[in-house]
Amino acid sequence: MDNMHLVLQSLISGISIGCVYGLIGIGFCVIYNASGIVNFAQGAFVMLGGMVTYVLIERFQMPYVVAALGAIVVTGFVGACVERLVVRPLWNRSAPMFVMILATLAAQIVIERLTYILVDDQPKTLPAFSDLPPIMLGGVAINFQSLWIMAGSVLIVVALGLFFKTTRTGKAMRAVSINAEAAALQGIPVSLMLTLAFVLSAMLGALAGILLTPTQYTAFNMGVPFAISGFIAAIIGGFGRPLGAFLGGIALGLIQAMAILGLGAGFKNVAALSLLLLFLFVRPSGLLGSTR
Amino acid sequence: MFHMRNQFFAGMVSVLAMAGAAQAEDIYKIGISAGLTGYAATVDRAWSDGVQTAVDVLNAKGGIMGRKLEVVVEDNRSNPQEAVTVYRKMVSSDGVNIFSSGCVSAGNAAAAPMVAKSEIPMILCSILPKQERDVVWAFTTLPPAGFEIEKRFEYLRDKTQIRKVGVLHDPTPYALLQKDVAEKVAEKFGIEVVAVEAYKQDDADLSVQLSKMQAAGAGAVMKIGLGGTTLTAAKNLKQLGSDMLLLTSLEDLAVFKPVAEVLGDKFFFVASPSQVFEAYPDGPLKQAIGQFLQPWREKFGDRDPNWASRGWDSIMLTAAAIEKGQSFEGPAVRENLEKITGFQGTTGTYDFAPDKHQGISTNPFVVAQIIDGQVRIAQ
Repeated sequence: MDNMHLVLQSLISGISIGCVYGLIGIGFCVIYNASGIVNFAQGAFVMLGGMVTYVLIERFQMPYVVAALGAIVVTGFVGACVERLVVRPLWNRSAPMFVMILATLAAQIVIERLTYILVDDQPKTLPAFSDLPPIMLGGVAINFQSLWIMAGSVLIVVALGLFFKTTRTGKAMRAVSINAEAAALQGIPVSLMLTLAFVLSAMLGALAGILLTPTQYTAFNMGVPFAISGFIAAIIGGFGRPLGAFLGGIALGLIQAMAILGLGAGFKNVAALSLLLLFLFVRPSGLLGSTR
Repeated sequence: MFHMRNQFFAGMVSVLAMAGAAQAEDIYKIGISAGLTGYAATVDRAWSDGVQTAVDVLNAKGGIMGRKLEVVVEDNRSNPQEAVTVYRKMVSSDGVNIFSSGCVSAGNAAAAPMVAKSEIPMILCSILPKQERDVVWAFTTLPPAGFEIEKRFEYLRDKTQIRKVGVLHDPTPYALLQKDVAEKVAEKFGIEVVAVEAYKQDDADLSVQLSKMQAAGAGAVMKIGLGGTTLTAAKNLKQLGSDMLLLTSLEDLAVFKPVAEVLGDKFFFVASPSQVFEAYPDGPLKQAIGQFLQPWREKFGDRDPNWASRGWDSIMLTAAAIEKGQSFEGPAVRENLEKITGFQGTTGTYDFAPDKHQGISTNPFVVAQIIDGQVRIAQ
């Protein structure tokens, strides 16, 4: 494998993991747009996606597709619970924003610990969607799970775009994100939209987890690093811009892969955080411009 | 009358307090700082359970010299800073008499000066602290770092045509130590280390590191480090369509089973004698493992016995040191641990000395595989 092949191979790895960061980043944006809250429980939703699918397959002998759909529903329900039990009481009392953000961080820890108690602490994995050898293109391996991740992510981004632009619920959510008070005066149930934002965000996280787990492992405590990467992706893309977050995720994945390739794994996070600082200094509104 | 009754109650209180103090004095407390959660959870939980099994067995026989044992275990969350906190708590609040701590080496090293100052001996699962003054109070059940590396090189040299390897390691002190050994001794086995790559325990993707090793011509990956990343490495190797073998360090078998499902006969790992007990040749070592495995299996079935067996050893070494010196005092136990030689443990024979606090000196490991769900010594 010459240097060019190595670079191409690393680019594929970077784009693949970047798509996952992007999906997590979109989850951040959806909730932020509806409420202004940065939901740090987003990593727990990613973990739940893979973990619940695993449990449904192994303990309940469900087919893979049914288990994955079940995991998305369960995680969506957990998202609703986080909103109703953690965020809503604080929201109703007009708690400061940082209190609500801290509360989501606490929710992340609670979800992790409950998973630890209910399942265990052993690493789990899921089979690849297509158990086929990778496609070899001139010495560069393109594995099918990466293709699933990339194609799945693009489809989700397109579907999400259509949802926000063409459906009544999507338009209502956008209206709330632009001006919650005006939306309420127009008869849009703002609190319901907030719940829906958490459900949607949790489902996106679960999808990212389901796509990702066949390439690595899931465990009760694997969510936080993903939440951090998704958060960085959302900032790079312009906080509140779903498409920006997706592009930001890919940029982050690529820069991490190139840092490992060129400088060594020790520089992976240095590169990621340098990119974040660069955007904060030079273009704080992100790639596509922040919504606020 | 009132005065007499007061005197009676005061007397009763004193008697009860003295009885309580005597009872507390009678209990010999063993503190464990363990990563019950986090990357070291699998091994440290096994270590703690091994310690508890040994304590239960000794207590059933009346304890050590008639004194019962009690385990105090604190979760350091596989985090060195957290480890210092839990050590401090166990020294100041729980009043532990000896530490039998888990495999979070950086945590044990960070707490070692404080523990040494308190004159409490430590018998560890991890490597010894680096500072000479801290080693005075610390002993380890861990075989030297080179053993795991040498066994893998030996296997590659004797059983394969592979002469170039990549080393993939995490940033823990033990992994770094092993990495240094690998670079140093490879030549002795006619093997060249063509790439050394690091990773973090929470990395989601190792394919760039693995691609670099493949590009450098490595025929095998020597992975050094614990946790689920072994599974990530296996998955990434398969996704890359790589023919490289994966040889990993000692780890809980529960982690290895899904790895073997992914890589099949391309996956090898260093195993301790207790992990391949049935296939291990008869002798004093097998006998010692058998003594541990009986209560272990009664309680935990076919759960991986490796780390637990070393936890068991730590308690048996403690008992031997106390009985040797006929004293429970920290300095005496420490001194008598140094005098233990020829002690048959479950991982090998322990020979301690004042300048040798790492007791195992002969390599007990084998290279193993999981074929059809069964652990076998690799042929």
